[in-house]
Amino acid sequence: MKINLHNISFAYDHDIIIKNTSCSFVSGNFYSILGPNGSGKTTLLDLISGFLRPGAGDIDIDEAPILSLSKKEISKKISLVSQDYTINFPFSVKEVVMMGRHPYIPRFSHPSTHDLNRVDATMEICGISHLHDRKINELSGGEKQRCVFARALCQDTPILLLDEAFSNMDISHTLQMLQLVKKSVKEKNKVVISVFHDLNLASSWSDALLMLKEGEIQAFGNTQDVLSQQTIKNVFNVESIVEFNKHVKAKQVYYPSV
Amino acid sequence: MVLFSLILVLMIFTSLSMGYIHIPLMDIINILIEKIFGNFHFIENTNEIYLAVILDVRLPRILTCTAVGAALAVSGGLFQGILLNPLADPYTLGVSAGAAFGASIAILLNLSAAFVSVPAFAFTGACVTLFVVIFLSYSSKNPMSGLSSNNLILSGIIIGAILSAGISFLKFIANEQVSVIIFWLMGSFASKTWPDFFAVMIFLVIGLFISIFFARDLNLISLGAKSATSLGVDLKKVTLILLVTGSMLAAISVSVSGIIGFVGLLIPHMVRFVTGPDNRKLIPLSMLAGAFLLLMADTITRAVLPHEIPIGVLTALTGGPVFCWIFKKSRLK
Repeated sequence: MKINLHNISFAYDHDIIIKNTSCSFVSGNFYSILGPNGSGKTTLLDLISGFLRPGAGDIDIDEAPILSLSKKEISKKISLVSQDYTINFPFSVKEVVMMGRHPYIPRFSHPSTHDLNRVDATMEICGISHLHDRKINELSGGEKQRCVFARALCQDTPILLLDEAFSNMDISHTLQMLQLVKKSVKEKNKVVISVFHDLNLASSWSDALLMLKEGEIQAFGNTQDVLSQQTIKNVFNVESIVEFNKHVKAKQVYYPSV
Repeated sequence: MVLFSLILVLMIFTSLSMGYIHIPLMDIINILIEKIFGNFHFIENTNEIYLAVILDVRLPRILTCTAVGAALAVSGGLFQGILLNPLADPYTLGVSAGAAFGASIAILLNLSAAFVSVPAFAFTGACVTLFVVIFLSYSSKNPMSGLSSNNLILSGIIIGAILSAGISFLKFIANEQVSVIIFWLMGSFASKTWPDFFAVMIFLVIGLFISIFFARDLNLISLGAKSATSLGVDLKKVTLILLVTGSMLAAISVSVSGIIGFVGLLIPHMVRFVTGPDNRKLIPLSMLAGAFLLLMADTITRAVLPHEIPIGVLTALTGGPVFCWIFKKSRLK
């Protein structure tokens, strides 16, 4: 599985969001996209998922242009945990997770035993089994996010896009979910592309980092090569100290107090 | 579901027997059996007047009313689903105002001499309004804002306001015909005929089929545009199809029976308390509940009250307080 972005540009009317960007993502890797607010991170994910059409350039998944695929075909390849996880009607947690199986259930038929098992297993590993009867709009932000996360995992796609998927989870659940994702990347050879704000989490969990600023890629490559005082200064305009931490076994970023 | 259908059939029979002339249930069943199976050898036993009252007066009215109630409730369910707003109803997009405007013009120009023209004008008005509202909120460039619920509601309100002013103007210049317009707008099932029933029924059957076909996609839409798209829903297509379906159901209902408020808003809302938000159950059950409730209201105004009052007034007067009670009760839980 390989995703190729070739000279992609995207603009809302006259505000250019993504400028002539090329990069590729290959399976078996956990990628993180980092960058300041409004740098085009979410837009980049929307382009990859086919939700937005690029103004110029091509996006291919395994040589097939994404725009040539139907929404249904894409939904069997790419799943998305979106930043916006509000659900407008009081569906139960189980119903929400079951929606992740939508691409596999034909019209007018009931979920198969496989679908049901998949949903139960995913709820179990995401630690939301005990919530299955609860209404989704009565849950806390972090619980809701775990439900939406479980829904995306249920979709069983080779590509998983995470848009600040952990923003409301506590540290224990964040680590648990990251562990799950990392495992599926290594064992099932998936591609995960995640937008992060926490540089240290990104550094310790991802194989490669993509630094985005004003719609342009500032740095893209192996996590330990990309993360440096210079890039952070360059992208975020923040003074920092970057050193290898032997407990984390990865580089960590410290921000000296002013 | 089966239970609800049975209750509805029972209600239809009860309603048939009630009225200015009370007709015993057995006679109704006899007449219907004879009519359906073409078996006329019982005919001597049954009263000629009963026959006319049942087949030409009550049955078309009752069935039209049932079908309109069903159509309005399905339409309301669809609109609440698409617009992600439990406050939406079949008239949110200004379809009713469009129909009313069309009907007012027809009445004003005295086209009502021809039998179909008022409903036909109302229907045309509703369709044109829908087209303008979709055109206003549609943007091909940005899938996030095109046909989003905010855009649709806003366009609907603007167009609705313009049309309401238009209707007021028509009333102003209508002189003595103003009462005809006002009575038409209040809605009534009096003197409905078989063609009225068949017109609504065709729309209802097609509309219901489309709604059930896309019911699961409609569930996914409540996850938000991005999530729904990532799960394989062609958002623009589904939204457009369901909007047109819901509006057509509302348009035909308004054209046949005038503006009957509250059914489209209330029924899906109340049914949601029972079935939960899953549209696969919500839509069919709303249909049955809508049919039942509107028929009950119509029977009350036709047979129970000493004087027939406009059905739209009755649904709001009785449905409103019931809704307040349910709403308050669900809040306290």
